[in-house]
Amino acid sequence: MPLSNPSLTHLNARGEAHMVDVADKPESRREASASGLIRMQPETLALLSEGGLPKGDVLATARIAGIQAAKRTHELIPLCHALALSKVAIDFELDEPESCVHVTATCRLNGRTGVEMEALTAVSVACLTLYDMCKAVDKGMEIGAIHLDTKTGGKSGDYRRDEARGERAVTPSVIESAPSPIVTGEGTSGEVSVGQRCDIAAPCIRVKCLAELRERLGVGDVSVPVDRLPSSDVAGLKTALKALDPRFEGLDQGRVLCAVNQVMAGDATPLTDNDEVAFFPPVTGG
Amino acid sequence: MIRVQESVFDAGVEQRALLEGRSDIGAVVSFTGLVRDFNERPEVQALTLEHYPGMTEAALGEIVEQAESRWPLQGVTVIHRIGRLTPADPIVLVVVASAHRRAAFEACDFIMDYLKTRAPFWKKEHTASGDYWVSERDGDHHDARRWEMSS
Repeated sequence: MPLSNPSLTHLNARGEAHMVDVADKPESRREASASGLIRMQPETLALLSEGGLPKGDVLATARIAGIQAAKRTHELIPLCHALALSKVAIDFELDEPESCVHVTATCRLNGRTGVEMEALTAVSVACLTLYDMCKAVDKGMEIGAIHLDTKTGGKSGDYRRDEARGERAVTPSVIESAPSPIVTGEGTSGEVSVGQRCDIAAPCIRVKCLAELRERLGVGDVSVPVDRLPSSDVAGLKTALKALDPRFEGLDQGRVLCAVNQVMAGDATPLTDNDEVAFFPPVTGG
Repeated sequence: MIRVQESVFDAGVEQRALLEGRSDIGAVVSFTGLVRDFNERPEVQALTLEHYPGMTEAALGEIVEQAESRWPLQGVTVIHRIGRLTPADPIVLVVVASAHRRAAFEACDFIMDYLKTRAPFWKKEHTASGDYWVSERDGDHHDARRWEMSS
């Protein structure tokens, strides 16, 4: 193969590896999703879903590992740029018939380079962490099928993997690492669900109300179709929520904070399909 | 090292783990926050700590990164508990190691001030006269602002 092949952007004219100069590329919204799986014994999968493994909350740990890995991709892959990712989401699907865990990662940013390496790295490290968390009971687990599913934005155009995903495409049941809000009244634990997908087919924003706000409004999770938003930002979402249900007038009562994809945000923060928006009262930890 | 967990922690074990095999550390400061039996109302029987999984870990990570950029630190451990706790239970642990004491004291103070005003945790207190969500305190914000003015 000639080394001047223009598709190998990490090789220069002499065939040497180099980092692509992206300073003059225009910024655009980039998103990539990748997935993979780890096969295990049915007994291991059962232990995982029951939370009976010796190292504790396996999926929560693997999710954080995947997010951290995405942020550190440039330290692992020699010619990758360091990116300020605006979103990293890791989802797990426990597949009992196939006796495996499907791992999906989505990365996003507004910038000059694609984020597919970040998504692939996140999936790989989330799978490795699942292995580490479960290896005490099952050393024969196998990691595989790590691949890019979709990529949008940028000069090279959008990419979608043209592969029928078989029976998975029919019933994408998303298993969450924790049950839906379990703090109400004398609740015993302090977690809320994260990482679920929209429960309606159209493009939508996933909204969460946390802590005191959830109890005051009587709403935990709700999905809002994107086309209901008069403007594609948090202010537009608030307007749409109030039109949907008068209880959301409470968003204007007292100090209510907001995070978009788990990063603090304000009324002007832009929103797009499948963003996670959380509203909550001032924090009181420590 | 950052952990968010329901189970109890042992400050001594965590501090020894941070120092293990190190001879370059000259100072270690450890702060443990405990559940009081009085707060906005007397007779607090228990409290429930809720958090925002994912964002919590990221927020704590960012606070620790800021501390590491402001002081020369050689190790930081932050553990915050969630779920139901009763008076005298430990809630939060911050252990900071440095070559010299001043950095360790200040960074530990800084991490707690920022944790209380920036990490997504919420407390609900259960008392003899009913349950309520704890309100934010102006004093906490005042404490956190000290670090902005001095930088």
